[in-house]
Amino acid sequence: MNALIHGVLLGGEYALIACGLSLAFGVMRLVNIAHGDLAVCGAYLVVFLGLPVAYALPLVLPIAFGIGWLLNITLFERALKAGDLAPVLVTFGLSVVIQNLLTEGATANPRTLDGGAISLAEVGGVSVLRIIAFAVAVSVLGGLQLGLSYTGFGRRVRATADDVDTARLVGIRVRPLFAAVAGIAVATAALAGVFLGLLGTVDPYTGGLTLIFAFEAVVIGGLGSLWGTLAGGIVIGLTQQLAGLWSVKFAVLAVHLVFLAVLTFRPRGLFA
Amino acid sequence: MLEIDTVTKRFGQVVVADALSLTVRPGDAVGVVGPNGAGKTSLFGMISGDLSPDAGEIRFAGLTVTRLDAAARCRLGVGRTYQVPRPFADLTVFENVLVAAQQGAGERGRAARATAADALARTGLSDLSDRLAGRLGLLQRKRLELARALATRPSLLLLDEVAGGLTDPEVAELVEIVRAARGDGLAVIWIEHVVRALTATVERLICLAGGRMIGDGPPAEVLASRAVQEVFLGVTP
Ligand SMILES: Nc1ncnc2c1ncn2[C@@H]1O[C@H](COP(=O)(O)OP(=O)(O)OP(=O)(O)O)[C@@H](O)[C@H]1O
Ligand SMILES: [Mg+2]
Repeated sequence: MNALIHGVLLGGEYALIACGLSLAFGVMRLVNIAHGDLAVCGAYLVVFLGLPVAYALPLVLPIAFGIGWLLNITLFERALKAGDLAPVLVTFGLSVVIQNLLTEGATANPRTLDGGAISLAEVGGVSVLRIIAFAVAVSVLGGLQLGLSYTGFGRRVRATADDVDTARLVGIRVRPLFAAVAGIAVATAALAGVFLGLLGTVDPYTGGLTLIFAFEAVVIGGLGSLWGTLAGGIVIGLTQQLAGLWSVKFAVLAVHLVFLAVLTFRPRGLFA
Repeated sequence: MLEIDTVTKRFGQVVVADALSLTVRPGDAVGVVGPNGAGKTSLFGMISGDLSPDAGEIRFAGLTVTRLDAAARCRLGVGRTYQVPRPFADLTVFENVLVAAQQGAGERGRAARATAADALARTGLSDLSDRLAGRLGLLQRKRLELARALATRPSLLLLDEVAGGLTDPEVAELVEIVRAARGDGLAVIWIEHVVRALTATVERLICLAGGRMIGDGPPAEVLASRAVQEVFLGVTP
């Protein structure tokens, strides 16, 4: 029972990391290999600011949004124009750069963010912080999905994701739109990274594994639907926890096996 | 309002515009004919900003727009339909038109909704407002293409084969919609293989072949000229 609850809660965290990846791919066709590292940067930003998490967050989110915006107009935009492989190579390069910068600036030691008194609180054996993380994840994904469905900005994003040439033809300014989407993607990643730091430890190389899980959540959930991404995250969380009951070593492998099975038998995802 | 000034464009060996020049004034209705591959759609691409010419200039509404992207040109008043309709498939019919009214015509709130509703009414799509655009049939897609272009409130409308693939009564319906829209002083450039659909509406016809203009004038004269007859021999009956 406990494993089920933990699995679902963990799934929320994966989904929060994954939603920006899903958004950037769904709208711009950008495969962002550095997404996990950008998430980790969120946690380090809190470390560098030296403020309690609750005070740091209102700064971290806009900074992350700005970083996403800038990365888009300096790097991603150009890479997307240069062919299919270029974005993968460029963001891979960015990933390596981030890992090195973090190691230089903050050493390779694992870090934990201090959540204060609340990090010790529990209800029924479940950490309150985990419940909060899950609630935040569901709110962010739900909010994004509603925003996409019902706002003018969301309509423009959907239209542009559908057909970028036609979007321009009806007057949509694609450049700032993509930059905003990249900003949102990095801001949600940074938020997820802060929770990674609160709930466990991060080091400069945490981003790699984080990316893989996020990527798997997106694929399992099916591209294009953020609810699908949430469901995909939960599938991963549950698989990891349930397999972990049997053997901790087997847990991560089980996730990858489920991912491979989905890719083989339902390549468009379970919930698309 | 539109001046195309010795524009040249090549795709490898294929010349789609060969030092082409064309002037269109407000309210003009210009028909464009020419065999397959003549460069008709490419010309629209260069006017709307999808394609950039290798040489030459394009001026619109008093500005040189050669380097402006399609969004900027749309905001200046260039509206365009695609030969093969490209609706935003995951948006409803109303959303397709609304996004055009908001972005292309720069309208907000209620005004944008009114423009969108008006464009749907003019094209007979009001009943399908809430349908996903991806589910429409060909005639309805063509109408939506037209509605979306009208919703950007263009001063110049580029129509690329509105009639292609439709039956005669369907064509007549669309021709009527375009004629009604022209009442507002809108300039139209209209590519069509079905010459009948054109001659009733336009007062000037140009004929393109191999990226060159081989005819320009009143429709009857252009269609009767030697050069045009030669190009069309065996291409259209
Ligand atoms: N993006 C492109 N890349 C390469 N060649 C192209 C491209 N677009 C058009 N062409 C070629 O340019 C030529 C002119 O194409 P265009 O679409 O302008 O012709 P058209 O007059 O509209 O023909 P149709 O009556 O078949 O619509 C064709 O030979 C086409 O194959
Ligand atoms: Mg064509």
